[in-house]
Amino acid sequence: MITPVLMPKIGLTMTEGKIVEWKKREGEWVEKGEVLFVFETEKMVLEAEAQQSGFLNSILVQVDDHVPVGQVVCYLAEKEGEKVEVALERPDTLRGEEKEVPLEVGPRPSDHIRATPLARKMAKEHGLDLRKGMGSGLGGRIRGKDVERAIQSRAPESVLVESVEQGRLVKFTGMRRIVAQKMLASKIETAQTYMVSTVDATRISEAREKLLPITEKKVGVRLTITDILMKITSLAIFLHPVVNTRWTPDGVLWLDVIHMGVAMALDEGLIVPVIWDIGKKSLSEIAKARAELVEKGRKGKLTPDDTKGSTFTLSSLGMFGVEEFTAIINQPESAILAVGAIIEKPVVIDKQIVIRPMMKITLSYDHRIIDGAKAAQFMKTLKELMEDPNVALA
Amino acid sequence: MRGTRVVVIGGGVGGYPAALRAARLGAEVSLVEKEKIGGVCLNKGCMPTKVYLHAASVLKEMKRASLFGVNAERIQFDFQSLLARKKVVIDRMTGGITNLLREKKVRVVKGTATFIDSRSVKILETGEILSGDKFILATGSIPANLSITGSEKDSLLTSDDLLQMESLPDSLLIIGGGYIGVELGQFFRRMGTKVSIVEMMDRIIPSEDEEISHALKGFLEQEGIDIHTQANVEKIEKDEIGKKVVFSTPQGEKEVKVSKAAQTVGRRPYFLGLGIEKIGLKTEMGRIVVNDRMETNVPHIYAAGDLIGGTMLAHVAMAEGECAARNAMGQPSSLSHPAIPRCIYTSPEVACVGLTEKQAAERGDVQISHFPFHAIGKASLMEEGEGMIKIVAGKRYGEILGVHMIGPHATELIAEAVLAIEMEVTIEELAHAVHAHPTLSEGLGEAAMQLSGGALHLP
Repeated sequence: MITPVLMPKIGLTMTEGKIVEWKKREGEWVEKGEVLFVFETEKMVLEAEAQQSGFLNSILVQVDDHVPVGQVVCYLAEKEGEKVEVALERPDTLRGEEKEVPLEVGPRPSDHIRATPLARKMAKEHGLDLRKGMGSGLGGRIRGKDVERAIQSRAPESVLVESVEQGRLVKFTGMRRIVAQKMLASKIETAQTYMVSTVDATRISEAREKLLPITEKKVGVRLTITDILMKITSLAIFLHPVVNTRWTPDGVLWLDVIHMGVAMALDEGLIVPVIWDIGKKSLSEIAKARAELVEKGRKGKLTPDDTKGSTFTLSSLGMFGVEEFTAIINQPESAILAVGAIIEKPVVIDKQIVIRPMMKITLSYDHRIIDGAKAAQFMKTLKELMEDPNVALA
Repeated sequence: MRGTRVVVIGGGVGGYPAALRAARLGAEVSLVEKEKIGGVCLNKGCMPTKVYLHAASVLKEMKRASLFGVNAERIQFDFQSLLARKKVVIDRMTGGITNLLREKKVRVVKGTATFIDSRSVKILETGEILSGDKFILATGSIPANLSITGSEKDSLLTSDDLLQMESLPDSLLIIGGGYIGVELGQFFRRMGTKVSIVEMMDRIIPSEDEEISHALKGFLEQEGIDIHTQANVEKIEKDEIGKKVVFSTPQGEKEVKVSKAAQTVGRRPYFLGLGIEKIGLKTEMGRIVVNDRMETNVPHIYAAGDLIGGTMLAHVAMAEGECAARNAMGQPSSLSHPAIPRCIYTSPEVACVGLTEKQAAERGDVQISHFPFHAIGKASLMEEGEGMIKIVAGKRYGEILGVHMIGPHATELIAEAVLAIEMEVTIEELAHAVHAHPTLSEGLGEAAMQLSGGALHLP
C-alpha cells in the first residue's frame, strides 16, 4: 500500500508552497505525526507531519521548488522498496490531507518567467526570485545585466556573507527572507514619519490591578497592559478613522472594520498575529484572543489566516525596559504604534515635582495618507484616553 | 503621426530602409540621393565585391572539380563578362529597391541636399526646396585617405577605383589589411594578379580575434599573397612600369614594385556640403553625434549609418535607419545590440560575433574551445576541412561571449551564434541543441560540447 503525500493547503489564501527542507531521507521509516518536510507559504514557514506511518518513497519535489497545493510531493509506502505506480493514482481519490486540498489547482505563475538562460543561471546561484522582476530585454525579458544589477543592489547582504567568512554562517530561513522583504518594502514604499507622546500611566496601571482578577475569573487569562492599550487604541482609531486606511493604486481605502495586529517576536523572526474586529471586542475578549495567539505562536502553530488582514499594528517592547522606540509600518497599513516601558519619573504637576509612572508612545505613520496635524490629533486622543482609561474600558 | 513629412537624405543602406519604414508607418516620405539608390553597399561595396568573390570561388571550385569526379577542362575566365555581370546584379537590386520605394509612395529626389534652416533643405541641382517635419540623415562615408609622400595625384587607388577597374593589373599592392583589403586582395590574386598587402598593425584584420587573424594570414599566403605586417608606408615613387612603394618594417626598409597601388584603410563619415553647421548639429571627431535612439542634438533630426561612426557595417546601418524612422514616427525604439556579426567574404570565410578572447579575458575569467572543420563530415565531403570554430564563454556561467569562425560558409553559420549571444545562451543550451547531420552547423554544437562534457567527434 502506497500513499501519496500532498502539499497541504493551510488557510484560505494559500495557492502554492515551497519545500524548505526535507526532514527525512528517501527510504527512511517515518512515524505518523513525525515532521516529514518544512514548507513555506507567502507568509510563513510550517512543518508538514506524516498523516500515517511508512517508508518515505520517491521524493518528487526538491528543496526550493514551488508546487501548487494538492500536488504530490512524495509517497509513503507500507513495505520497504514498494513500487510506486504514479499513473494509477489520482489526487482526488487520495487519503491523507484531502479535506484541505482543493480539487482544482491554478496554473503556476512561475511558468511564465521571461529570462535569458544566463539570467536564470545567475539568479539560481544567487537565490533570486525572477518571477517578480521585469527586465530590460525585448518584451521585458530579464537579461544577465538586470540580475547583475539586482545582485549589486543586495550588496549589504553579500557583504554580510563575506564578513562571516571567519564566523558562523546562518543560512536564511524562509521567514528571515520574508521579514527582510517586508521590512525593506515598507521603508522604500511609504513616507514614514514619526511622532512621540509621553503618557502618565498611573491610571492604566491602576486599571490593570483592578481588572486583573476579574478577567482571570471571566476568561482565565492574565490581563496585560498591552491588552488595555489595544482596547484604548481601538477606540482612538474609531474616533480618528484616517489611521485605519490603506494606500491603493486607485485611491485611499477607508476601512470599515479595525483588525489589530500585535507584533510578536519569535526566535526565527517577527510575526504579527491579528485580533479581528477589535472594536467589537470587550477587554476580556481581547485578552483571551491575544493569549491564544501568543500560545499558538510559541508552539509554531500560527496559520496564515492568523496573521493576515490587520489594519493597524501595536508593538510593545516595554517588557524589555525599552523606554522608547520607533516601529516600521506593517504594510499595507498606514500606521503603527510603538509602546515603551512604564518608568517612574519626576514630573511637574501643579508646580510640584512628583513621581509618576510615565510611558512613551511613538506613532509611525505614512505621511502620504495621514497629515501631521491628523496624526497629532490621534495622539492627543490616545494620550487622553490612556490617562483616563475608564472612558474606553467602561 | 500619419501625414508627417519625413525627408531622408541619402539612399544607401541607412537611408532607404528608414524611408521604407517611415512610409509603412504612414509618413509622407521624400528620399534625396545624389548618385544611385543603394549607396556604397549596392554600388561600390558589399554587393560588387561579393559578385567578384563569388566568381573567384566558382573559379576555384572549377579548377579542383576533378576532386569530385567532374572533368572541367579548358577553364577560362573572362573579366569583361564578370564586369557585365556585376552591372546586371547591381541593376537588378537597385531596381528592386526603387520598386519598393515606389510601392510605398516614397518620392525619390535626385540631387544634393543642403540645409537652409532646420526645417528645410535645398536641392542644389534643381533649386527645389524640400520642407519636412522630421529629417533622417544617412549620407554615409567615403574611403579614408593616407597622407603619404607621392600619394597625391591619383597614385593611390581607393576601393571604389579597384571596383571600377576595367582590366586586371599585373601586380597590385594594397595598403591596409582590414576587411576590404583582404577581400579585394584575394579576388585579384585569384584572377592572376600578383598581390601584396601592407598592414601597419602586427597582424591583418587586427580588430578580430588573434587566432582567426593568424589563420587567415596563413590561407592568404598559401595562395601566394605577400603579406607585410608592422609595415609603415614611407613613400610611393613612380617608375617606368608603375609604382615603387617603400615601407619600413622591424626588419628594415623594404620596397615593392607594382603596376598599381591602392589603399583600403577604412572609411570616414561623410556629410560635406549638407550644411549642418547652419542648423547647429553636433559633431565629434568628424562624425554626427546621436544617442541610442538615433536622435541628434536637434530634436526633429535623426542620423543613421556610417556618418554617425561606430561600427560601419551595412546591417548596422539598416538597423539604425529603421530605429531612426520609428522614433521619427513616434514609436519609441532604441538600439542596443550586443551581437553584431562581422563577416569577411574571403575563402575560407571569416565570421565573428561578440568579444574576442582578449577582450573577454579583460572583463573576467573565460573558457575557450576550438573545433576544427576537418572533424565535420559535411566539410570533409566538400573538401573544405580547413579552418575552425572558436567559442569564447564566461567561466562562471558559461554564457557565450564571442564566436569566431574561419571556414566554409562561416558567414552563414554565424547566424546561430548571433542569436545565442543576443539571447544570452550558455554553452549548455548550445551543446544541448540538436544540429542537423550532416551539416557544417554541427561544428558550433561540437565546439559548445567541448566546454560541456566533451565533443563527440574529437579524440
